[in-house]
Amino acid sequence: MKPLRIALAQLAPRLGLLEDNLARHREIVAEARAGGAGLVVFPELGLTGYQLQDLAAEVAMRADDPRLLGLAADAVGLSAIVSFVEEAADHRLFISAALLEDGAVRFVHRKLFLPTYGLFDERRFFAPGDRLRTVDSRLGVRLGLAVCEDFWHLAVPETLALDGAQILINVSSSPGRDLAAIHEVGLGTAASWRTLMRTYAQLTTSFVVFCNRVGMDETISFWGGSEVIAPSGDAVFTAPLFDEGLHFVDIELGDVRRERIGLPLLRDERPELHLRELRRILAERTEMAIDAASESPDGRSAEPTRADASADEAERS
Amino acid sequence: MASGLDSESGDGGGRENRLFDLSPELAIDTDVARRVMVGFIRNQLRQAGFDRALLGLSGGIDSALVAFLVAEAVGPEHLLCVLMPYRTSSSESVVDARTVVDRLGCASDLVDISPVVDGYFGRDGAPGGGGESASDAAPLRRGNFMARARMCVLYDRSVAWGGLVVGTGNKSEALIGYTTLFGDSACAFNPIGDLYKSQVRQVAAAVGVPEQIIRKPPSADLWPGQTDEIEAGFSYPELDRLLFWMIDKRRTDEELVGMGFPEAEIARVKRLVAVSEFKRQVPPVAKLGPRTTGVDYLYPRRRPGSTAR
Repeated sequence: MKPLRIALAQLAPRLGLLEDNLARHREIVAEARAGGAGLVVFPELGLTGYQLQDLAAEVAMRADDPRLLGLAADAVGLSAIVSFVEEAADHRLFISAALLEDGAVRFVHRKLFLPTYGLFDERRFFAPGDRLRTVDSRLGVRLGLAVCEDFWHLAVPETLALDGAQILINVSSSPGRDLAAIHEVGLGTAASWRTLMRTYAQLTTSFVVFCNRVGMDETISFWGGSEVIAPSGDAVFTAPLFDEGLHFVDIELGDVRRERIGLPLLRDERPELHLRELRRILAERTEMAIDAASESPDGRSAEPTRADASADEAERS
Repeated sequence: MASGLDSESGDGGGRENRLFDLSPELAIDTDVARRVMVGFIRNQLRQAGFDRALLGLSGGIDSALVAFLVAEAVGPEHLLCVLMPYRTSSSESVVDARTVVDRLGCASDLVDISPVVDGYFGRDGAPGGGGESASDAAPLRRGNFMARARMCVLYDRSVAWGGLVVGTGNKSEALIGYTTLFGDSACAFNPIGDLYKSQVRQVAAAVGVPEQIIRKPPSADLWPGQTDEIEAGFSYPELDRLLFWMIDKRRTDEELVGMGFPEAEIARVKRLVAVSEFKRQVPPVAKLGPRTTGVDYLYPRRRPGSTAR
């Protein structure tokens, strides 16, 4: 099988300047094509910049926006993953990653987990997506897309792999922080991410592609360090920290088969067991929530309610 | 406790040869820190439409480090260092500041703020513009006035030089409130404001700030013989360690005591941090209209169209 050449666009988007970023994407698509890439990956919110706050609504696009379709037309012959602020028909705003193929927006993943803690304030400005699906690409391989924080939740890589993805792609705007000397490469964020990606690649026996931006928005520095990890958990490629660059990485898709035959972890997954226990956990959580809420002022518990009964039903089903 | 010089040169020198003391948990990767701060300076200037910067160079380590970082970010020819001694300032301060200017080859300006300060407080028994009540002002009032006089000079020079004022305050002093509001803390942006004093020393050594500047006791130099550590009654390496575990690592008082920090010290530092909260925030505005700046009108400082020129 011919190797798949992936182009990682570790770029520094300009905050709020959609036209500038579109132009830069077009240039990079052309470079990726000239370099023989089959897939080009851009970072989270590469078309808009990250720290948008109230600018989010001003740079938002519908998934059928002519500007996005124009970029798709430029990328014909390639598979391109680009990320932007998506405005839904009901005017909710999402952080989305789109797969552009054959001149069309073939698939859109809306970021599922919006960090709103520490230095993050995403939920204030965006709505969370509620679908986690994979997509068959023109590359003859099924892709699983995720955006940054999505990968800090185990269920995401697991679900994507169970749904048949062979390449898990995470596009990020990860702010570098925790600059202690004890960390690998001196940056706590980089050390955590590297651990996650190697673990996911190994446990899902899939390729993991990580494209993280560089540059600064306001006070935040994005650290880059984009990577491709093989299904064995070994790094195929690691980009430098903080430097802008377009990096070409060749992968052997046959590695997925080899790894999964030798290490049949996916075969041995027990999704039905997982689902059963998740149902039980959800039912128990619901029950607990009702008990706590229905406690009478003098501390005695209220009588069981109808909701308790339906929770029992859920447990049995 | 590790010593920066010992650990970096591996010469195993005695305590008296150490350039600075640094707790291992505070040690940072100076290459990464330098990279981020230099990028930050470049970015802040570019986004604001400026290619020049200026700062008040005191002869101390904080402003010396920032001068080195700005020179690295945009070139020394784009940096103006303003020396603003008062007549009682230590002469060593000016000498050390001059050393930095010579080392970097940047532009410099010397502005004696004595006439401004004395013009308000008066001198030798003669009252100044501040009237009788100002002539017997305590050192704190004078010190604050000096810090604000320097701010006025810097912002005036920023127009003449066509550059932005770069902040030189560190995280230790910001957290305990050892700054003058609208004085030394006033700036367009601050590259070292998230570095503890011990970390400032570590980075300063790495970028080549002259050794005598790293070695000398930190001082606001607002009156002769003043040093931070005598005035506040702490040593920076210890204070920084406590702040790090208390704030960055969210340890409770109980846990801090368990780690060996004295209870009285914990209480004192906590109080300093709490009472100086106002110095670290933008002044509050009463919420009246539908959209209020800083509350529900939230834009990046550097947004499209925000470039000054």
